[in-house]
Amino acid sequence: MSAATTDRTPVSEAVRAPGTATRQLSRPPVAYLLPAVILLAAFAAWPLVVLIRMSVSDVGPTNVVGDWAFVGLTNFAEVLSDPETWQAMGRTLLLCLLLLASNLIIGFLAATVLSASGRITTVVLSVMVFIWALPPLVSGSVWRFLLDDSGTLNALLGLVGLGPVNWLSDPDLALWSVGGVVAWAALPFSALILRGGLLAIDEQVIEAAAIDGAGFWRTRWSIILPLMRPTLWILSILTVLYAFKAFDFFYVMTAGGPGTSTNTLPVLSYYAAFTNFNLSTGATIAVVSMLVVVLFAIPYVRSVQQEVDQ
Amino acid sequence: MDPRVRSRGRSPGRSVLIALAALLALALAGCTLQSTPSGTDADGVTTLRFWQYYQGQQKQWLVEQTERFERENPKINIELIDVVGDQQGQKLLAAVSIGNGPDLLINNIVVDFPTLSGAGVMRDITPEWESFADRELFPPETAWRNEGRVYNLLPYTNLLGMYYNADILREVGITEVPTTISELEAAMEQVSADGRYQALAMSGAPDVSGAWLFFPQLLGLDIDYCSFSGPEVDQAFQRIDRWSDRGWLPQATATWSQTDAWQQFSTGRYAFGLNGNWNLGNAGDLTFTYGTAQYPAPDGGVSRVFPGGEGIAIGAQTQFPDLAWKYVESVFLSAEGARTINATAGSIPVRADVAGSDALAGNTEVAPFVRAAQASATWPTNSATADMQRALGEAVSGVYSGQLDAGQGARSAIDGIAAARAEGGGGC
Repeated sequence: MSAATTDRTPVSEAVRAPGTATRQLSRPPVAYLLPAVILLAAFAAWPLVVLIRMSVSDVGPTNVVGDWAFVGLTNFAEVLSDPETWQAMGRTLLLCLLLLASNLIIGFLAATVLSASGRITTVVLSVMVFIWALPPLVSGSVWRFLLDDSGTLNALLGLVGLGPVNWLSDPDLALWSVGGVVAWAALPFSALILRGGLLAIDEQVIEAAAIDGAGFWRTRWSIILPLMRPTLWILSILTVLYAFKAFDFFYVMTAGGPGTSTNTLPVLSYYAAFTNFNLSTGATIAVVSMLVVVLFAIPYVRSVQQEVDQ
Repeated sequence: MDPRVRSRGRSPGRSVLIALAALLALALAGCTLQSTPSGTDADGVTTLRFWQYYQGQQKQWLVEQTERFERENPKINIELIDVVGDQQGQKLLAAVSIGNGPDLLINNIVVDFPTLSGAGVMRDITPEWESFADRELFPPETAWRNEGRVYNLLPYTNLLGMYYNADILREVGITEVPTTISELEAAMEQVSADGRYQALAMSGAPDVSGAWLFFPQLLGLDIDYCSFSGPEVDQAFQRIDRWSDRGWLPQATATWSQTDAWQQFSTGRYAFGLNGNWNLGNAGDLTFTYGTAQYPAPDGGVSRVFPGGEGIAIGAQTQFPDLAWKYVESVFLSAEGARTINATAGSIPVRADVAGSDALAGNTEVAPFVRAAQASATWPTNSATADMQRALGEAVSGVYSGQLDAGQGARSAIDGIAAARAEGGGGC
């Protein structure tokens, strides 16, 4: 019976078969999405739910394993009324500015230099990828020794007659020192992203600008930068996200000190939750950080969506 | 029907099965990677999981003693599972919350005892402790109690004392080792005036270690976390501010851990080092003549420090509490264990027959720490003890670095400790 039905299928429908198949493939393949959905739910959504639940509960050292009493927004009121939270927010925003300047300006200059092909470029790119791939705990430990009062950097300064600089123990300098290391670690990523954007620009556009008399910097300012605006925009958003989750280098290099001078939001959250076991406070600070990050992430998501639509 | 069509028709179900199988395999792999589970195998050998974070000589001691125990008890296998030290508390809480707690554990007892005992991580070992034959050899402080029940034991302590570079002291003309804070200040002034050496290396990191190094300046005056206020506190902060201003302490003190401070003292550039007895094992490698003394007593008071070190506990979820206690008795509470941990790692046993032996009390370098162990201070049992220590650590680090002046540091510490103590129920 089945065979008879098949035999009677009109030729016209057989011709449409490919189109039908295309429509079937274009439907969401729910089963194929299942593993990703399960993993996402287990490793992203569920921890997020627990985090938010913790932030509206009273979770202290003695009841972390057990029932959590609901306290509403009390934790948020306490955290937001604590001056240390706002100081940590200020330090985090300073770190954002430092990283934005480093990633966009130095990153663009590095990408410009590295957009020329050659053996040196290949070597430099390899080194940059190596730096990018280094675990922060490892590179942070190395930098900690380099920047110590009696470390290599001060020894080099001494050779040229300059006095030692307390890179990590001066409260006015420590944030910038660690921030500089964070920027150093982030630079390869931004340079590689911007280099990709540069190489994607049609060479004919550059040649046309040259024919019109535009010099090197004029071409960069008036032609290349506008064309790279989407890339720069996305990189900016990613940089802000990176700044708000930068923790490893601070943990290794200063542990939030000296005093409280490098207590950024992630550092504050970590020590509240995992050293003092004030898990509610730690979770609340993390949620506050997350809300700030969401403000920056919304334009990113919209820009990605616009690209997908295009 | 076309077989290919049938195949496509089954694909969603098969995909689900494959996905679930993959997840199951992942979960099983995770379990396998984590550790061998506790239990008894077909040969009757029972495996106990011991979460520990010993390193260096302490780890060497633990491995040797565990091997001895396993030779004496061939039906018991102790699996030593390495955990990152400062993550032990959080990992224990997570493991217990899913019913996967270890059989044995060590913990940073002065920081996380209230948390771990209150959270049900550790087994109540009151019956075992009270029926332990050698219990009278241990001071009462060995057993850490929560609401009268014993959960943790501290059979070996780590305490602070003062190391000095005898070569430097001789060169600058210091003939007497300081025993009080005033004498130490006079000696540091002499070292500083000489100009060739640095005065003091100590930890001032904004955490527990910074607090631990600072507090003996007050403990000897009977001031602790529960009475942390008054002119003595202000004077102590003024003192460390003065030490920083006069260059007796480098600014880097504000970020030095105890390991950093020991490394600095080991360079031979520092006359004095305030540090712990656990460095005695490494002190033999120093390239200069060194000596030890008790932490200098505050003027008008006595030398007193907080006891530190790793507590040993039996996991609340163990299925083999008797075997776990047998291991604790043999390795941690025996005279053999006490003698060897001092010889190998420099820890100070509190077991009376070993602490009073010539090997310890008669050893010039060890004796100051033994004396300190016999008159150490008592930690608060407030559940926010860690919070109090962090508040003090941040304040002293701020003063060492210049972020805070003495008055601001004292106020910050007093307020922070009071707030944490209240958060933890207000008691001590």
